[in-house]
Amino acid sequence: MNLTSDRVRSIGWISVLLVCGALTIGLTLRVNAVKSQVADTEKRIVGVQQDIDFLQTEFATRSNQQALRELNDLEFGYKAPIAGQYIEGERQLAALGVAPGPGAPAPIRYANAEVPADQGAGTALLAMVSPVTGAVAASTPAAGSDAKPAGRDPEREQLARDAAALGQRLAHIEVAEASQQ
Amino acid sequence: MNAAALNTYSRPEMATPVAIPMTVSTGRRKLVNVRQRSLLVAKLRTLWVLGVFALVGVCALGRIAFLGVTGVTPRHGSIGDLLIPDRGTIVDRNGVPLARDFRVYSLWFNPKAMTEGSSLIHSPAEVAAGLLRIFPDLDRAELIAKLSSGQPGYLRKSILPEDANKVHALGEPALEYPLEATRFYPQGSMAAHVLGYVDSYGKGKVGMEQAFNDQLVSAEGRAAPSTLSIDFRVQGALEEELARGMQLSKAKGAAGVILDVDTGEILALASLPSFDPNHVKPNDMVVTPAQAALGEVPNGFNRVTNQVYELGSTFKPITVAAALDAGTITDLSRRWPAAPLHVGGFTIHDTHHYGASLNVLETLIHSSNIVTAQIADELGGVRLKKTMESLGMNERPYVELPARGFPIWASGEWPRLRTMTVGFGHGIAVTPLHLASAYAALVNGGVWRPATLRKLGPSEVPAGRRVFTAATSARIRQLLRMIVEYGTGRKADAPGFRVGGKTGSAEKPGAGGYRKHSLIATFAAAFPMDKPRYVVISMMDEPQATEATSFQRTAAWNAAPVIARVVPRIGPLLGIMPDETRDIDVSDLKPLIPGGGKEE
Repeated sequence: MNLTSDRVRSIGWISVLLVCGALTIGLTLRVNAVKSQVADTEKRIVGVQQDIDFLQTEFATRSNQQALRELNDLEFGYKAPIAGQYIEGERQLAALGVAPGPGAPAPIRYANAEVPADQGAGTALLAMVSPVTGAVAASTPAAGSDAKPAGRDPEREQLARDAAALGQRLAHIEVAEASQQ
Repeated sequence: MNAAALNTYSRPEMATPVAIPMTVSTGRRKLVNVRQRSLLVAKLRTLWVLGVFALVGVCALGRIAFLGVTGVTPRHGSIGDLLIPDRGTIVDRNGVPLARDFRVYSLWFNPKAMTEGSSLIHSPAEVAAGLLRIFPDLDRAELIAKLSSGQPGYLRKSILPEDANKVHALGEPALEYPLEATRFYPQGSMAAHVLGYVDSYGKGKVGMEQAFNDQLVSAEGRAAPSTLSIDFRVQGALEEELARGMQLSKAKGAAGVILDVDTGEILALASLPSFDPNHVKPNDMVVTPAQAALGEVPNGFNRVTNQVYELGSTFKPITVAAALDAGTITDLSRRWPAAPLHVGGFTIHDTHHYGASLNVLETLIHSSNIVTAQIADELGGVRLKKTMESLGMNERPYVELPARGFPIWASGEWPRLRTMTVGFGHGIAVTPLHLASAYAALVNGGVWRPATLRKLGPSEVPAGRRVFTAATSARIRQLLRMIVEYGTGRKADAPGFRVGGKTGSAEKPGAGGYRKHSLIATFAAAFPMDKPRYVVISMMDEPQATEATSFQRTAAWNAAPVIARVVPRIGPLLGIMPDETRDIDVSDLKPLIPGGGKEE
């Protein structure tokens, strides 16, 4: 058997082809195996979803209005709150508090250690030295004191806004009517 | 030994070629041939079998290779399709499911499951006893009859999975429990008239199931839920309070509706007695001719949209509003004589005597027929009719439900007496939904909008048509509030909710005129009166004089308390906080009533 270079080349090509074919088939088999796994998973998803629907329906049925009413009649006896039980805003809530009488224990007050956020910035500014005069930047304390109220203001604004929003929410009806008039 | 045997065998053949051995030898040769041939055949057959096996193997390998290369059989549609129900879900305005598809087991008797012999292994009586242990409410005789008939059929619809397991344990192949898609209403009988039900052929009946049928079975309708304007919490509160009021007054039926005055969306619609759409009984939908003759209606009959009633005094504010609009009433302090009125051989009475004369406010507070008739007379039939027409009183109510009653409406020119009686709500019969839409127009600034059971987006709200001026509407709000504060509607007041409204107690027409003790008691309310958002109507059909209603039949004693209990329950749910420091300003009208009103 004499192996000419042509024959070697063709054998080489054929084997490369065979290897490629085998790899392709292997890959295809793998792809289809994954595909069928996906199909199985989807089937499981459908099954689980159907179980979820079943349970949701069961919960909805067990907690339907009539069941809740019967439970309330039997167990709790809740009634719709009357007008006096609603509070207009924080001011009204605060008004419900009673001024401490003589000899009352001092109210417990909470404090939290606030680390000023601008402290780091202040030191950084302190370290700044004018390259011309060699003087340390003089405005840092002022900048620091400016920054502090600025940092507190949004908080206050937020509070004010919340209180306003509460009022707005309670006066919901005014908003609604404005649209139709 | 073998060779010797062969030799002895062949020798006589060689020595004496006579006939007899010849025949013997021929027979032997034939035998050899036969043996060889059969061996060959056997070999061939083995080869065939081998070949077939090989072919099968090759086929199997080929199939495996084919499957490996082409993948599994193509799936039908995507995963989403499998999860889409056969019929779309119906949800309330907050997305809570009110009607949905539900897969349940049912118990099916299949006599052909056993191919030969009897269809059951045990006797029908034994099987029935076994089934009765699982389902104690089944009827034994009926069950035995079904099992021995040999006819396939349902033994029971919708059974629990654990019961299906117990049926399986009975070991009867003829008892099957297929998993079937059915329609389920998690809230039970709540909003039954709004939802309707689905019959055994899968067609929607009665309510939105019928109105939305095409949509619910279409591809888009199945993929996305259909949203109603109903709020199930509000619906529950309304039904509960109506049922309570109905029980206390021993009424034959009750109806209620809650309407958003600015959009026309129906937040709750209740008609009692009701039915359970999960288990519709035949007599829920039809009544016997004898019952029909007595004026009975089936439970499935919607009293809010289908039944027309003369709603009585609740029409008086409409008449006054029309008169204010037309300019026939310019001065609310003007007094009208309150003596019984004789018109065309007919006398208009009041239930009580309220003095020689009444102004408009006193008329509404005391609900005087006499003065309202005069106001209507002054306004004239043409203008009153036009107002009623623009409130949609001459056509079926605007709502998606299939069952909509046609009003009893006098066409043509109204004679004087008709104008007067329509002025106080007689001689015209409309549905409670008509009244709700009219009250919405009265209080919302004067714009009438069609009622709808579809949840509307902000851009979908219809423009409506203007019936009353905004000034008239503002005046009517004051009047309605004062009726509740000082007049017949006091029992409807819910502190802090600024309820306004009007009672109406109309005698029911029967054979030979009106029946004195069969009333339709209605209360039409709106709240909060300073910025009206919702109209609430409650109606009692033939309430009785009971201890709970202080032996009274009129609306102030049965329909009005329902409002007073419903409003505090639904107000906070709908974003209306009670506030006793707010109210509509009625200070300009207060001087018109002596001492702030002391009437009953």
